[in-house]
Amino acid sequence: MSQSIVLVGLSHHTAPIEVRERVAFADGRLEPALRGLVSRPAVREGVIVSTCNRVEVVACGGDADAVAAELPAFIAQAHGLEGDALAGSVYTRRDREAVRHLFRVASSLDSMVVGEPQILGQLKEQYALAAAIGASGRVLHRCFHKSFSVAKRVRSETGIAEKSVSVASAAVELACDIFDRFDDKTALLIGAGAMGELTARQLLAKGTGTLMVANRTFERAADVAGELGGMAVPFERLGRMLPLADLVVGAAGGDVLIRPGEIEDAMRERRGRPMLLIDLAVPRSIDPAVNQLDGVYLFDIDDLDDVVAENRGSRASEALRAEAIVEAEVEAFWTWLEGLDVVPTIVALRDKVEGIRQREVERHLGALGAVEPRQRDAIERLTRAIVNKILHHPVTALRRHQSERGETFYVEAARSLFRLGGAEPPDDEEEG
Amino acid sequence: MEVVLLRGASGLYLAATVAALTGIAVRRDFPDRLFHWLVGAGLALHVASITIRAVLVGHVPAANFGEGLSLLAALLVTLFLVVQRRGPLIALGAVIMPLAFGLTLAASVLKGGAQPLPPMLRSVWLPVHVLLAFLGDAVFAIACSASVLYLIQERRLKAHRGRGVLRQLPSLERLDQVSHTCLKWGLILLTLGIVTGIVWAHEAWGRGDWVGDPKLLFSLLVWALYTVLLQGRMTAGWRGRWAAQLTIAGFAVIVVSLVSVNLLGLGIHGRAF
Repeated sequence: MSQSIVLVGLSHHTAPIEVRERVAFADGRLEPALRGLVSRPAVREGVIVSTCNRVEVVACGGDADAVAAELPAFIAQAHGLEGDALAGSVYTRRDREAVRHLFRVASSLDSMVVGEPQILGQLKEQYALAAAIGASGRVLHRCFHKSFSVAKRVRSETGIAEKSVSVASAAVELACDIFDRFDDKTALLIGAGAMGELTARQLLAKGTGTLMVANRTFERAADVAGELGGMAVPFERLGRMLPLADLVVGAAGGDVLIRPGEIEDAMRERRGRPMLLIDLAVPRSIDPAVNQLDGVYLFDIDDLDDVVAENRGSRASEALRAEAIVEAEVEAFWTWLEGLDVVPTIVALRDKVEGIRQREVERHLGALGAVEPRQRDAIERLTRAIVNKILHHPVTALRRHQSERGETFYVEAARSLFRLGGAEPPDDEEEG
Repeated sequence: MEVVLLRGASGLYLAATVAALTGIAVRRDFPDRLFHWLVGAGLALHVASITIRAVLVGHVPAANFGEGLSLLAALLVTLFLVVQRRGPLIALGAVIMPLAFGLTLAASVLKGGAQPLPPMLRSVWLPVHVLLAFLGDAVFAIACSASVLYLIQERRLKAHRGRGVLRQLPSLERLDQVSHTCLKWGLILLTLGIVTGIVWAHEAWGRGDWVGDPKLLFSLLVWALYTVLLQGRMTAGWRGRWAAQLTIAGFAVIVVSLVSVNLLGLGIHGRAF
């Protein structure tokens, strides 16, 4: 077919955090990467999804094989890796599978913590960037917007998000395995991102006594601290705050901020009182060796998976309902996408008009009474000629405009004007 | 009659063990409530059994090994219920109740007839010394159980494993607190137990061969070990894994002393206990 959707990527299912953090697209690098992506000959449209749990490239092109062949190399090369460096971790989904995957991702069915709400926001943001610079076109536009509305449906029609089991609450659950009471505990939030803030909120909801917020820009730390009712501390004095912190939430990406030496000093000053460190950042901001220290418990975002794995089980039935919604929406989208293909559109158009012609001929022949075979033949030829003459220009136009660059306007117009199957109102429903 | 009651208590403790293990593995209230009911009922039968025995023999029933074990188990279960007042600790129950079951089972097997109390034991010191010493042992047993759970929980957290079947393990902080509190009280009771023992022995035998009594030596060893541990906890910030391991080691010495002195019949406690 002329419109193929291919999704290539790696996620927490296939690649450890060490690999994911190497291929994550930092905010500033997303735009040049997108431009590079759509400049490839096989790729007509492209969107890059990059979160701490996944890096996925969704692309649309005329030749699925060519697109699928380009994307893994694109991801690797964008990060200065060999073309096949990621071979073991990368998966490829085509067409229906690709659409299903995207819908599942948007609905948080593929998340580390099923039902967590952050992924949809991230997806919207990264899609918006692709749309703004013209990397995504008609097909992906539709596909992403559809994924947002699927996510909305899943959220409202299933209980999957109800328990709001997110990475943040998984972190709180861990804290409950270590600490008995929270009112005498101090939490230190490093970084002022959404995920860290959410975790801090949950810890405060659990009754944590004091919250300190450190961020590279102090103003932002002060903002978050003000909002949450904590206090901002200067980033440079992080080391001196550590002994006070029972809970540390590292959510500032960039480089390693906390090393074993600092924690060792802090533990001495704490006289061995246990510390829980949660590293939400990718790349990691806390040296994994910290976990070896006595009384120190470090969990990175991969480790949180274990904690939430159980929650997944208890929500299996809701997940099944969610999958059913996704399945139905994939079919609907697919029907629309197939409609963009000119050949089936022309066939459908001819069938439709031919059907009308035959029905009308039968109806009116009945009214004429007895008709000789010769006359009947003439009527058939006459009507067929009219139909062919009328269809000639539209069909030619459809063939001609079908795609230098995947132009689908005429196909959609034809489908809409003649009410051919799969035509939906031309406006995409906006997600809420 | 009291043996029947004791067996009944033993059975209920076994059932409570099963309920506690189930309670850890499933997230439902039912096994928890059942567990508490079973423990309560078991303890009621158990106390009745000990009371009858006390009335029959006319003194605190701790004059032979069987009686001693039964009394120890009753104190252990009572203490467990006391510790539980600050929030349920079904996981601790899963360690304590099999212990109580084993002790009562052994007691009901070893029970034997009521022997007349040897003349030298007829003293007010008998109930005082015996109760203090047993209470101390029971408190240390709880400290040890909490420490075992601490090590399990800490290993799981360090290894980043999910909860698996251990869904209701208490927090490290809670376990450490239980262990610490029990250590303090246990040490006080042990000190009093040793002092009353010495006073009593002095009264009974003067300066005699009781000075080298193995039970006394074992107790002094445990006392020294736990004093160092408590000192370390309070001043040097010992806690966590190291403190838990020492607590378990101390209790291991107590078990060795109970078994070696009373089963092998060493020293005064071996002869007369």
